[in-house]
Amino acid sequence: MERKDEKTSDYKTLIIRCPRLGGEVPFAYCEKEGGDLPCRMVVGCWEGIFLVENHLRETLSEEAWIRLNSQPPKDKLTNILDIVEKAKKRIK
Amino acid sequence: MQTKVVLEDYEIPKQWYNIQADLPKPMSPPLHPGTGKPVTAEDLAPIFPMNLIEQEVSQQRWIDIPGEVLDKYLLWRPSPLYRARNFEKLLDAPVKIYYKNEGVSPAGSHKPNTAIAQAYYNKAFGIKRLSTETGAGQWGSALAMACQMFGLECRVFMVKVSYEQKPYRRLMMNTWGANCFASPSNLTEAGRQVLAEHPDSPGSLGIAISEAVEDAVSHENSRYALGSVLNHVLLHQTIIGLEAQKQFEKIGEYPDVVIGCAGGGSNFAGIALPFVCDEIHGKQLRILAAEPALCPTMTRGPFAYDFGDLAKKTPLLPMHTLGHDYVPAPIHAGGLRYHGMAPIVSHLLNLGLIEAQAYNQLDTFDAGVKWARTEGFIPAPETTHAIAAVVAEARRAKEEGKERTILFNWSGHGLVDLAAYDAYLNGRLDAYEFSDDEMKRALKAIEGLPKP
Repeated sequence: MERKDEKTSDYKTLIIRCPRLGGEVPFAYCEKEGGDLPCRMVVGCWEGIFLVENHLRETLSEEAWIRLNSQPPKDKLTNILDIVEKAKKRIK
Repeated sequence: MQTKVVLEDYEIPKQWYNIQADLPKPMSPPLHPGTGKPVTAEDLAPIFPMNLIEQEVSQQRWIDIPGEVLDKYLLWRPSPLYRARNFEKLLDAPVKIYYKNEGVSPAGSHKPNTAIAQAYYNKAFGIKRLSTETGAGQWGSALAMACQMFGLECRVFMVKVSYEQKPYRRLMMNTWGANCFASPSNLTEAGRQVLAEHPDSPGSLGIAISEAVEDAVSHENSRYALGSVLNHVLLHQTIIGLEAQKQFEKIGEYPDVVIGCAGGGSNFAGIALPFVCDEIHGKQLRILAAEPALCPTMTRGPFAYDFGDLAKKTPLLPMHTLGHDYVPAPIHAGGLRYHGMAPIVSHLLNLGLIEAQAYNQLDTFDAGVKWARTEGFIPAPETTHAIAAVVAEARRAKEEGKERTILFNWSGHGLVDLAAYDAYLNGRLDAYEFSDDEMKRALKAIEGLPKP
């Protein structure tokens, strides 16, 4: 697939099928999926469509870029046990 | 000419099959992320009822299906075993193709097999409400239906972007009596924190899981429900393969090849595990997992110790892997993308009890469309991987001039995945293959790690 050469503002409305949600989402969703960070799969999902890595390096701080690339995609059980601990602390 | 093999209601299997009892070599237990020690019943108790935790760790071969669960299963089970005569004709090969149609459940997939069981066990343990998260809405709707059947309150946290885009899944949940909330919501501390910082957040699966878990652990008589990955989920799905065995017995046949698509493992395990039991006890057959060519974990990834994550924070696990820093391309295979394979499926592959084949998404959609145009039913994108494997097996049979009987699991319909078909039919999909360069990089990532 030939990569598109849109201006940065145009990327936000591009649509792709999210493999995690099973439905279509705009790039704007992927950019915000992790709260203050993009989805950890954002580069893999979009690199065939536009120069997403360049875009993210331009728009994210260096610290955010490093955090994005060190997010651990844990297996489900590990993730859930971790969330249980966090939930217990939150509701204390 | 028989097209459907149906079992009478009284012939439905009365027990689930637990493969843990028959494994020639036991599996390693999951380890707690905090302690590094095996996960205990106490770790799981805040989120699952003890009767399900007992199933999670059980080594008992046969586990009775409670009468109340059977009563509900009977609404669509035993699911029909179909002979795909039209598809056979199209392939023009010496094969008989049978498929187990799990798309006939009210929710349209195999998911209710475990949703019903989980709702029952929670009810029996005195739980009043269940919470879960959902992305596309398929698991949420299966659980909503199951909770209604057992008089449980059901709370589903649906990722906001899906909640807004998929009103029909949400309405299915509402119709079955569940409360479906757009996540992030203001119902939990986790959701409120996100909304305070990002009022227009479109949500994420991570946020939705956090909300569902918090909802469960912060309310009396509440628990959390998960529709994939765990041992008890796979156990409940074995009813698919057990029924298929009875149906083959009824027509005096037995498959030479059993096929399922493999991602989290619940639908593959559902059809495969009872046949793996036969294989362990001397039957000659091949059991085949179909995976995406872009993510060829089992077909090209070595069996090695690797981290479960990019940050190398999880314990090292023995599994078929493409390296922990693998990032897949955006294929339409839903949950079939991860650098490692589910532990039980990896374990079976490593023991030589199953095989694996990889298919690219253009081939899988080609097979799915041909299927829809001959057999009528439109398969889910994941299911098309199993159909592509059937096509390949038929081609092989033709080349070898050998007859084969093939069984595969038609895990669900694709009526809520038509956008993927739109992309395929309009030429917006790429083939995507895992390159040799990517393989080299993957192997580099696990260099220096211990070998199993």
